[in-house]
Amino acid sequence: MNDTAALRDLLLRMADDELIIAHRNSEWTGLGPIMEEDIAFSSIAQDKLGHSLGLYRILESLGGAEPDAVAFGRSEGEFRCCQLVEYPIGGYDFSLMRHFLHDTAELLRYEMLERSSFEPLARLATKIKGEIKYHLFHANTWIAQLGARGSEESHARMQSALNEVFPLALGIFEPSDYETELAAEGIFPGEAALRGKWLETIAVTLEKGTLILPSLDAVTPAYGGRKGYHTEHLKPLLDEMTEVFRIDPSAEW
Amino acid sequence: MYGNLSVIDAQPLDPNQVDDPELLAEFEARIARGEKIEPHDWMPREYRRQLIRMIEQHAHSEIIGALPEGTWITRAPGFRRKMALIAKVQDEIGHGQLLYSAAETLGKSREDMIADLISGKSKYSNVFNYPAETWADTAVIAWLIDAGAIINQVANSKGSYGPYCRALERICQEESFHLKYGYDNVVTLATGTPKQREMVQEALNRWWKPIMHFHGPPDTVSVHTEKLTRWKVKMASNDEMRQEFLNAYVPKIWDLGLTVPDPNLRKNPETGVWEFSDPDWAEFKRVINGDGPCNRERLAVRRMAEEQGRWVREALRKPDMKYVTPLS
Amino acid sequence: MTIQSLDPRVTRAAIPQENETEMAPIPPLDQLESYEVFHLETRGDHPVHVGSLHAPNPEIALLWAKEQYGRRSRTVSIWVVRTEDISVISVEDADIFATTPEKDYREAKGYRVGGKITAYKRQNTTEP
Repeated sequence: MNDTAALRDLLLRMADDELIIAHRNSEWTGLGPIMEEDIAFSSIAQDKLGHSLGLYRILESLGGAEPDAVAFGRSEGEFRCCQLVEYPIGGYDFSLMRHFLHDTAELLRYEMLERSSFEPLARLATKIKGEIKYHLFHANTWIAQLGARGSEESHARMQSALNEVFPLALGIFEPSDYETELAAEGIFPGEAALRGKWLETIAVTLEKGTLILPSLDAVTPAYGGRKGYHTEHLKPLLDEMTEVFRIDPSAEW
Repeated sequence: MYGNLSVIDAQPLDPNQVDDPELLAEFEARIARGEKIEPHDWMPREYRRQLIRMIEQHAHSEIIGALPEGTWITRAPGFRRKMALIAKVQDEIGHGQLLYSAAETLGKSREDMIADLISGKSKYSNVFNYPAETWADTAVIAWLIDAGAIINQVANSKGSYGPYCRALERICQEESFHLKYGYDNVVTLATGTPKQREMVQEALNRWWKPIMHFHGPPDTVSVHTEKLTRWKVKMASNDEMRQEFLNAYVPKIWDLGLTVPDPNLRKNPETGVWEFSDPDWAEFKRVINGDGPCNRERLAVRRMAEEQGRWVREALRKPDMKYVTPLS
Repeated sequence: MTIQSLDPRVTRAAIPQENETEMAPIPPLDQLESYEVFHLETRGDHPVHVGSLHAPNPEIALLWAKEQYGRRSRTVSIWVVRTEDISVISVEDADIFATTPEKDYREAKGYRVGGKITAYKRQNTTEP
């Protein structure tokens, strides 16, 4: 592997996405709509923190800093997460829709990465497969339940959440500067390929939920995150997340 | 997590209605033999009522107890602490779920219990009406409040009501993680930088009074519980539990070079009994009656969570759905 | 004025300081169905009953049971069944299981042939 810049960029995008969505999802812990669901969604947040930790560890093995320093020690402009994950939790409709659109992309991405020529990533993809399978079981069940099997109100809420989240979710697939290298070296087939699969897959579930996907032509993908341009929400999130850590970043907490 | 609440007894039952003496004798003999009571068994009305009250309060304490520690969930420093704190708060909700199920077997629905919590009709452990001001407070809570809770729960898990005992067994297994996590957290701060040490000492100072309140008022002023003891509803006296706690944890606190904000705290070498200053039982009463630093916020947050979640629950319900109480 | 909490999540929720209104009463149907949960630790084990939960249907019961009852211990399978669909002989009626001692005809210990064999052998060896 001589071009680690491409690899680092891919790993950082993925790791930052996982960290920030985990952080957001964990805001529901203890405050969820039903106790049983509270438990399930908290587990998902923990799993995602674990995934991001795994990715930061791979970055560390490529010469990066240790995971806590990377996660808790960078400024906003150094983050490569998509803007989708930065938004506040909103209502449970927004959080669930984000979870569904994000996790479907995550599942498909890791499926592709299981065949990656970069072994540490392929190994991680295989290791966390079961967890992501549960996350999708969770997301798909909720889309069907609140969309087709719920109340009029829940259907309307989920449709409006979909309209709001869809353009943000397209930001997951913001092309990187390294698409060609990553594909040529067999590391990752590329964001465009992933997006194609994602659109096919979400269509199936959304149909079960009788929810209508906005037309691609009518929306503008929320790009910028992958280049370090973020919404106004990321900085306060990071300030909050690192408040204790920053008391003394060199201390063991 | 759970504290002792026997101080707030429910209203007495109608004295004109008495239990069948033959059935009562059979019931008491069963308990005396060490057998468990199961949901469909005959039981005295007073037994059912006290158990519902106790298990319900315990369950409320779990979900309200998730709030002080939850205060720091978005700010936990570093991956390991972040994941562990989410897992711990998650466990509290899980414990609440198990306990509400156990209480439901006695005939009160979970929704009724939660409505009574929010309206202030039913209580929860007093300690959770205190704020977690810094990260170190979560460490002290996870270690010492959970330690106090384990003493209580281990005792109660040997009680007479089957579903409660089974829930507690499961809960106690998870609490051992909480205790270790909390201790690790306190030790890390106490052996860390001067700033960290100061943080944990201050947190300990803040929490000492609520910790001393945790197992309830002294036995001398606590309500008469002879019958509840015979029925194996109340398994250990408040003073016994407090002594057990002090005996196990004060040496560990001192071992870290931390101090306890009570100059009179000492183990009497002759009697082996821990002596301490009056931990201000008047404040305990005030807080339990609603006038603590966080009472209003805690209930307002629970209410907010219920109200915000209502559309979700409504989307799950079907008119033909029939609620039955859990089996065991 | 909304509650300014130590918990930033609570501050963000913008909860009114004073709740002027009573909470709307919880509708009578707010309770979901009850499900009993069975846990299988290893292949080959009997499923063991571990508790119950509330859910609107079996699929969501499984979704939730997986985390509430399977997140801590080793698990290979979870079963859920509607509490209502379970039929029970209550512990109150445990006396119907009381087996009288005369049932030894269906116990291994009820069959002892050693005495007969010994007697038979003794009889056959005394005769020349």
